[in-house]
Amino acid sequence: MDDLNSWRGVTGRMRNFWFDIACWVIAIPLGALPVVRSFAAEPHDVDFRRDIRPILSDKCFQCHGPDGDRESELRLDLEQSVKELRDGVAAVVPHQVEQSLLYQRITTNDDSERMPPSESGKSLTPREIELLRTWIEEGAPWAGHWAFEEIVPPSVPRIDGDWARNAIDVFVQQRLTAAGVPPSSEVDRRTFIRRVSFDLSGLPPSPEEVEQFVNDSHPLAAERLVDRLLGSPTFGERWGRVWLDLARYTDTTAEWLNSTGQAWLYRDWVIRAVNDDMPYDRFVQLQLAADSLPDVELEDLPALGFLGLSPTYWKELRLAPDVIKQVVADEWDERIDAVSRTFLGLTVSCARCHDHKFDPISSQDYYALAGVFASSQLGDRPLLPQDEAARVMQARESVREIEEQLGKLKTDETEPRQGLEQQIADIRNSTPHYDAVSAHVMVDSSIYVEADGPDLTKLEYRPGEARDLPMFVRGNPSNTGKVIERHFLSVLSKDEPRKLNNGSGRRDLVEALFTEARDLTARVIVNRVWEQHFGQGLVRTPSDFGSQGDPPSHPELLDYLANELIRHGWSLKWLHREIVLSATYRQSSLSHPEGKTVDPENRLLWRMNRRRLEVEMLRDAMLAVTGHLDRQQGGSAYDLDGPSQQRRTVYGQIHRHDLNRVLRLFDFPESTSHSPHRIHTTTPLQQLFVLNAPFVQQQADSFAAQLAVESSDQARIEMCYHRLFGRTPDATELEAGREFLSSAHGEHATTVLADYVHALLGLNEFLYID
Amino acid sequence: MSDLVTPAFESPPVQSRRSMMRTLGGGMGSVALLNALAGESRAIASTASHAPPRAKRVIHLFMNGGPFQCDLFDPKPLLEKYAGQRPESADLRTERKTSGLRPSPFAFQPQGESGLPVSELLPYLSKCIDDICVLRSVHTENPNHGPALLLMNNGTILPTRPSMGAWMSYGLGTENESLPSYVVFCPGRPVRFSILWTSAFLPAEHQGTYINHSETAPEKLIPFLRNETRTVDDQRRQLELMSRLNQRHLEQRAGDTQLEGRIRSMETAFRMQFAATEAFDLNQESKSVREEYGEGHFSNGCLLARRLVERGVRFVQVYYGNGQPWDTHSNHDATSRKLCLDADRPMAALLTDLKRRGLLEDTLVIWGGEFGRTPTTETAAGDSGGRDHNHYGFTMWLAGGGVRGGMTYGETDDFGFKAVENPVPLHDLHATILHLLGLNHERLTYRYAGRDFRLTDVAGQVIEKIVA
Repeated sequence: MDDLNSWRGVTGRMRNFWFDIACWVIAIPLGALPVVRSFAAEPHDVDFRRDIRPILSDKCFQCHGPDGDRESELRLDLEQSVKELRDGVAAVVPHQVEQSLLYQRITTNDDSERMPPSESGKSLTPREIELLRTWIEEGAPWAGHWAFEEIVPPSVPRIDGDWARNAIDVFVQQRLTAAGVPPSSEVDRRTFIRRVSFDLSGLPPSPEEVEQFVNDSHPLAAERLVDRLLGSPTFGERWGRVWLDLARYTDTTAEWLNSTGQAWLYRDWVIRAVNDDMPYDRFVQLQLAADSLPDVELEDLPALGFLGLSPTYWKELRLAPDVIKQVVADEWDERIDAVSRTFLGLTVSCARCHDHKFDPISSQDYYALAGVFASSQLGDRPLLPQDEAARVMQARESVREIEEQLGKLKTDETEPRQGLEQQIADIRNSTPHYDAVSAHVMVDSSIYVEADGPDLTKLEYRPGEARDLPMFVRGNPSNTGKVIERHFLSVLSKDEPRKLNNGSGRRDLVEALFTEARDLTARVIVNRVWEQHFGQGLVRTPSDFGSQGDPPSHPELLDYLANELIRHGWSLKWLHREIVLSATYRQSSLSHPEGKTVDPENRLLWRMNRRRLEVEMLRDAMLAVTGHLDRQQGGSAYDLDGPSQQRRTVYGQIHRHDLNRVLRLFDFPESTSHSPHRIHTTTPLQQLFVLNAPFVQQQADSFAAQLAVESSDQARIEMCYHRLFGRTPDATELEAGREFLSSAHGEHATTVLADYVHALLGLNEFLYID
Repeated sequence: MSDLVTPAFESPPVQSRRSMMRTLGGGMGSVALLNALAGESRAIASTASHAPPRAKRVIHLFMNGGPFQCDLFDPKPLLEKYAGQRPESADLRTERKTSGLRPSPFAFQPQGESGLPVSELLPYLSKCIDDICVLRSVHTENPNHGPALLLMNNGTILPTRPSMGAWMSYGLGTENESLPSYVVFCPGRPVRFSILWTSAFLPAEHQGTYINHSETAPEKLIPFLRNETRTVDDQRRQLELMSRLNQRHLEQRAGDTQLEGRIRSMETAFRMQFAATEAFDLNQESKSVREEYGEGHFSNGCLLARRLVERGVRFVQVYYGNGQPWDTHSNHDATSRKLCLDADRPMAALLTDLKRRGLLEDTLVIWGGEFGRTPTTETAAGDSGGRDHNHYGFTMWLAGGGVRGGMTYGETDDFGFKAVENPVPLHDLHATILHLLGLNHERLTYRYAGRDFRLTDVAGQVIEKIVA
């Protein structure tokens, strides 16, 4: 094995810091009971958030929730309603199970009385009834939804043993010990550098990098490796793409927009910001409101592409205004959805037609936010100082009008054609920077859908003016209620919600995200980064932190990291570094019986999850290991199916409505809406790509040509293994390779080397990261 | 991803396919590979049934968007009488606001020996009515497309559970190792997309293989179906090498199911190159058969479905169209007429063709949308002649595969709004479909995260009355 150098002796410095912190000793190990509930640190404790609220939410809220049918006064989402007396009885009397109407109604033998009623199609399991009983017996403690609570910075507990390397590990070990599951052993250096290189750069390490790291005797070898990867521009290419999934990035916008904007400016801005470790608060601020903030550099205007590249829907003005109002409202809805899920992990869109069924988000909150988007329009902006940009935009508009006239001319009208063409040339020549690139941006301008005569519709824009929207009763824009002043979500506000009324309100919205909603915002981004590194989030529903979402597996760890992220000036590179240097991250991906029995889903993180390369990594790795990768950064997108395109996949063209088939095959998300995370599938069609795609064949063929100069089959095989897998082949693998290479005769002899490379590119070892 | 977990067929009468493979040694990959390398497409049929199967294969014609039951199979004369009114029993809340009752303008005639009423919109299918069991009282839980599609396919709105097709594939395996056991056709994509055919926690090989059949040449249907520069022999040698090396890699990693799934997937891909070219080639059909099915995406989908089930594919879903074509929120009558004109002929051709080939008796055909539509007029955006989603009661039909033909089961109320007699919840439908396949829905379980999961969760009753 290559694991020559011990990892140990590196982190003594870090190891001491929690000894000083107020600490508590963890519970005695339970012994490995194969019981699901053994995950709980205190097995007999019923936790309202973890155990009770999900039951109430799943089984009861339909009638007794925020938007329940009004037959029932009882609201099981409100503590007061649950515990107050009605006609002398209360649904829950703390400590008094028999006095609690709720308990009576869920356990009665009378079918007509029993809750939930059979027609709801829902029923409680004995386990759930038992939990409710215990909860009442223990005094029915109530707690708000975890995600909406402020972070109380958790202290890092003291823990035995020397497994932990940093605070992350302490929280992880605490739960593992409680469940009686040992962590997995640390991986060797070869596995580690492969894992961390893909995670941080999206590329495999080169053979030289592997050897250098494996033989690095410096006590901080791992730290130095990670710092190098974090400092490389490839980091932004990998992590920028993660962000672009959330932002539903596309290179092509709808043709009716007549856009001159260049989408890639936004993609490149994201990559650059990630590489610069732009603080996350600034990163978000610029994306939502770069146009309305002071001291924004021109180069940061493309940040607005997050909203500026939003999907738009066709508005057929020959239809009635009622229909078009719906279309326009659908656009606002999509933007609310993208913003609320990306930054807050909340599905605010659910409140469009009624109060959110499960989360405390009212329709009023929804229309308060919708007003912000009704007051902001998509636009293009040449990347020039304001006055020059205005001149260029004016000139372009004139050219567009002339082009329209040109289009109406008949082919034989030569003279007028020449005249108009001359006009265009004059405008272009007399306007400095006429061809300057334009970014997709947002401008403060409100939209109104108005009748145009009895049947038709017109859209009216009022630049610089904001508007508050009326509520749309049951989501119907033609059935309006009272006007709602633009304001931030009530549930995340301590007092009166912040007004969103400076300009469109986008700037206020960002301030709210990092003031009253700060802790949630931090938890959401921490979880996203975590999920990418481990293949599974601490919260497994990264864009739904509401009550229907998944509760965190390690709430204290999530809060600890969120709090530390804020303390570290929202530096995401700090977070990456902390994660990939932890002992938790360095675990082997091999399964072990204790873990498998107690926690088959690996929620407790007793090992690393084995992960499949995402399509960008697969394609880039094929280019990289065969020596073809063109590392040119940035610029306009290229056709992924083009003949000789060897740039990184992140620069390949994304069509919103016609996704490239290779991307589609390998689970790339549609860019029509926010994608919380990728879903990984394994299909024969993917394997056909590996077996037959000209792209793969080309890489194999030309790598084979490079290999041909090596002196022997053994040398060729070894080179393949070093390039593709970062290791030396063992005797069996060498033998298999030799056999394959020597078995070819006649016409096969010329292609056998390429076939060998091709087969190795198709191996699981190439596609999966241990 | 999860580790290998034991699939729990409760005391299977015969050794399951999975354990059989394992007993043979070397994991599933190697056994399947032996077949592949021998150039055989040996049927590895299921031995995991709980009862003798009536159906061996399923074709699901999915009218995505949701057709209106009272236009097609569930005539409601009282709609005329109460036109424009909204009696109390028709005062149900759906996704959008609706107002008074709107009668269907389409006439019904008794058809076949059974004399079941079928709409004038379906002249071809009418002739097959004696093979069809019309379920008039299906209902589901959610009036929105996304959740309703999930309910119909996965039995739950949770995006984390396996789809019905994945359960079938898991329960029965495939009869043709050279083709995927579960294929989904859509000329475009239905709402929610791939989650509708996910294998979730079941082994990855059971996931539906999605094919956009907007174009019908096999090479266009299936991207990268052929290698332009290598021969079959070259590839066979490559596959042999890959298999050998992958197998060692797998053994060193304690049989991780995702690695195993990919090995199998690679082998299927290899064989698909030959099997699929033939199976997906509509040009191999005679002119008369092509004419019988007619032209268009849906016709092609139906014909492809027949070709695949004929070759042992376990479950084929054909989504009628991209997005949700049956979602007639406006201009309902004219759109329905157009859709039926397109769909009627191929559906009838499929049933007739299956019957002629002796396949209908053990091929179950399922027809329906994710829900039905309201008998009331949608007014959410003004009255534009639309009907809203209706999850309270709608029609689906089953044919072949051990189902009694020429009968109706269940009834909706006087206006066709809500299932009132013998209501069929989706779990019952799923239980019945599995039953016809010889699978007991309570015993087709999979242990995952400490719990036995099943398609029907904790519900589901087989509708015995419709089983022949």
